[in-house]
Amino acid sequence: MEVDQQHPLVLPGDTIDPSLIPTHKKQPLRLGPGLRHIPPNAIIPTVAGQLIADHKKNSMWVEYNGGRYIPSPNDLVIGQIVRSAADLYYVNLTPYTSSATLPQLAFEGATKKTRPILAPGALIYARVTLANRHMDAELECVSGSTGKAEGLGPLTGGMAFDVSLGLARRLLMARSREEGGVEVLELLGGEGLAFETAVGRNGRVWVGSESTKTVIAVGRALRETDEGDLGVEQQRKLVKRLIREMR
Amino acid sequence: MPREAEPSLNERQFVLQALQENLRLDSREADRYRPLEVTFGDEYGVAKVSLGKTRVLAKASAEVTVPYADRPLDGVFQIATELSPMASPSFEVNRPTETEVLLSRLLEKTVRRSGALDTESLCLVAGQKCWSVRVDVHVLSHDGNVIDASCFAVVAALRHFRKPDTSIEGGILTVYTPAEREPVPLGWLHSPFCVTWSYFGEEGEMALLDATRAEEQVRVGSCTISLNRHGEICQIAKLGGTPVEAVILLQCTAIALTKVKEFSAYLDKKLAEDIKRRDAGGRSAELTAENDR
Amino acid sequence: MTVSAAPEAALSVLPRADGSAKYSHAGYTITASVNGPIEAQRRDEHPYEAHVDVVVRPAAGVGGTRERHLESVLQSSLTQIILVKNFPRALIQIVLQIESTPGNDYVNTKLFQASLNFSIMPALFQTAVLALLSAAVPMRATATASVVAVVSQDKEKKLIVDPSAREIEAAQSVHVLAFTSHDELLLAESEGDFSVKEWDDVYETAKKICCQPESQKAGIEMVPDDDNARGPDMRQFLRSTLEEKVAADLHWK
Repeated sequence: MEVDQQHPLVLPGDTIDPSLIPTHKKQPLRLGPGLRHIPPNAIIPTVAGQLIADHKKNSMWVEYNGGRYIPSPNDLVIGQIVRSAADLYYVNLTPYTSSATLPQLAFEGATKKTRPILAPGALIYARVTLANRHMDAELECVSGSTGKAEGLGPLTGGMAFDVSLGLARRLLMARSREEGGVEVLELLGGEGLAFETAVGRNGRVWVGSESTKTVIAVGRALRETDEGDLGVEQQRKLVKRLIREMR
Repeated sequence: MPREAEPSLNERQFVLQALQENLRLDSREADRYRPLEVTFGDEYGVAKVSLGKTRVLAKASAEVTVPYADRPLDGVFQIATELSPMASPSFEVNRPTETEVLLSRLLEKTVRRSGALDTESLCLVAGQKCWSVRVDVHVLSHDGNVIDASCFAVVAALRHFRKPDTSIEGGILTVYTPAEREPVPLGWLHSPFCVTWSYFGEEGEMALLDATRAEEQVRVGSCTISLNRHGEICQIAKLGGTPVEAVILLQCTAIALTKVKEFSAYLDKKLAEDIKRRDAGGRSAELTAENDR
Repeated sequence: MTVSAAPEAALSVLPRADGSAKYSHAGYTITASVNGPIEAQRRDEHPYEAHVDVVVRPAAGVGGTRERHLESVLQSSLTQIILVKNFPRALIQIVLQIESTPGNDYVNTKLFQASLNFSIMPALFQTAVLALLSAAVPMRATATASVVAVVSQDKEKKLIVDPSAREIEAAQSVHVLAFTSHDELLLAESEGDFSVKEWDDVYETAKKICCQPESQKAGIEMVPDDDNARGPDMRQFLRSTLEEKVAADLHWK
């Protein structure tokens, strides 16, 4: 999408053209990342990126790539256990930041007698339940409403790769090919490679497979798509090349 | 001291598992370097090296000073390496970490102690004035193998550097500015390069060249061999770690020699290109006495 | 060596930092890296705000009082535009590596270093702002900076924008000013003998350069004015640099 009048480039502190702000009779306007609200009615961007407004859902945000992950509630993340304390695990989501906490009972079917023992250095797939600037983030490995894991929990074996925040967001989209322009994982699966993945919004992707070569190929595909800013066509060529090199 | 990020258990096990199958994460062979590139700045003595995602900048500079009392016929030569938080947030200014101390010592032994730079040629007036040459190494990005990249940058910067021309008449020393007289290169004797091997496995049986940061965090030992293209070894440093068979070490040294020859040829080529670039349409063109019609 | 008049910048040049930028203008080349918000040391922790830590590394040498002065000036002005209240107890770490300074073929290097303190300040400031934008650190506004020298010529005072080293030596006073994108004065440092009227003229000139209302044209425009008070339009430059980066980042849309 070109940077145009409808979706302009904004820099921190810019004034937003009031005609771009969506209005709705009943729903309040929701502000996504990159915008802040100064009462009574000033909306100001805080980062450099493209301003996107969704009139159907009555929300607005700034689309950008880069920077460091800041935890926000309901995000799915891949964390690394740092140590365990009385009833908690301390989990690190990004390097050099303070740890998030994960209650030891926040796993499927965990009771005081049967809780999972996780060693420091283990990887888990979790959801952020609490995140605000004054407190350390809190995680859970079980769905709060159903009590089932639904894919969350410890990740064994495999390898974790670092990707940019933008690519992680695109991979997590429901329709990653149409909306996110990323098809590389589906293409690799289509070529017959058997692997599973878990994508963390904090810029980490876990890949697990029986074959080491497969994991390495997936890792390389992710890295080259990320660093080369590859479009869907180029991703197809990349996948073909990697499959050829594997054989 | 800031918290260095530890790799996860999954990552550790995977890297070792892959090595058992002779695979590396970026699908390189065990004895292949990442793409190495060196660029020179507009100023003399600035060399920027990139080895994969590792980036190092070296700058050489010189000033006139008093020689050491016990070595009146030699100039002063220093290499300064201070890692800043730019390389990684775990490095702090003014707090040398083990990495920094090791890097400093290796460069010291490789370039300074091996006599790569002829310090006698830096003497201006015996016992009173001499050149003090200084190379500052700045690591801009740390993705493994900072040692090899830094050594390359230091050698490249020193060979690229030009010091101001001088003359002595009747006991009076004149230092010419670059506008008065073209600066002259340093007295360079040989070009040493570092080659670092990393060892993996219970008995250090798997050896890799040019480890990335992820590989460095999982290795059990490492050995840095410094030599020039004639096969003259300046130093070998294996500082602790899992013991490695002597045979493997000899093989590593042999392969190191081939790599150093490649480095030498590459650096010569880049320096020649730089000289050509400066001459084309530059001073040499100005200095000709032809009229252009 | 010719010194190009137009500034150049590249963003996200360092692969392992949260944000980075490389900026060259008037012979200065500086690379900056930004990491943050990360955990602060106990001694730097602030209960309600993030701590902004600036480190300036010169090309040659270890850096002394001069670099500490630059660091403190940059730290106080950057803390004003970063939304530090969003990240209590955190640290925003900015490292500026000076790669090259304009050469002066008529003076030997050692004597030359000392006079460069002021003219490097806007370049350092600009690189830091670009790196912060690349790291997507939430900010209140962007900022631009410039340096102006007052020279007396034939008993008249003339203002020179981006003065060269020789012009600085001959100048009566040198001033560095930075403005936010809301036209507020963020930083004002001056050195030398000058009158209030001269400072007002310097203020107007710097403001014209840093705060030109943006036009729709792409590329870098020279601010039209009388001779020697010309300078590149910094805001337009900032915007076009960011436009390129955002377009590349969001190519998939």
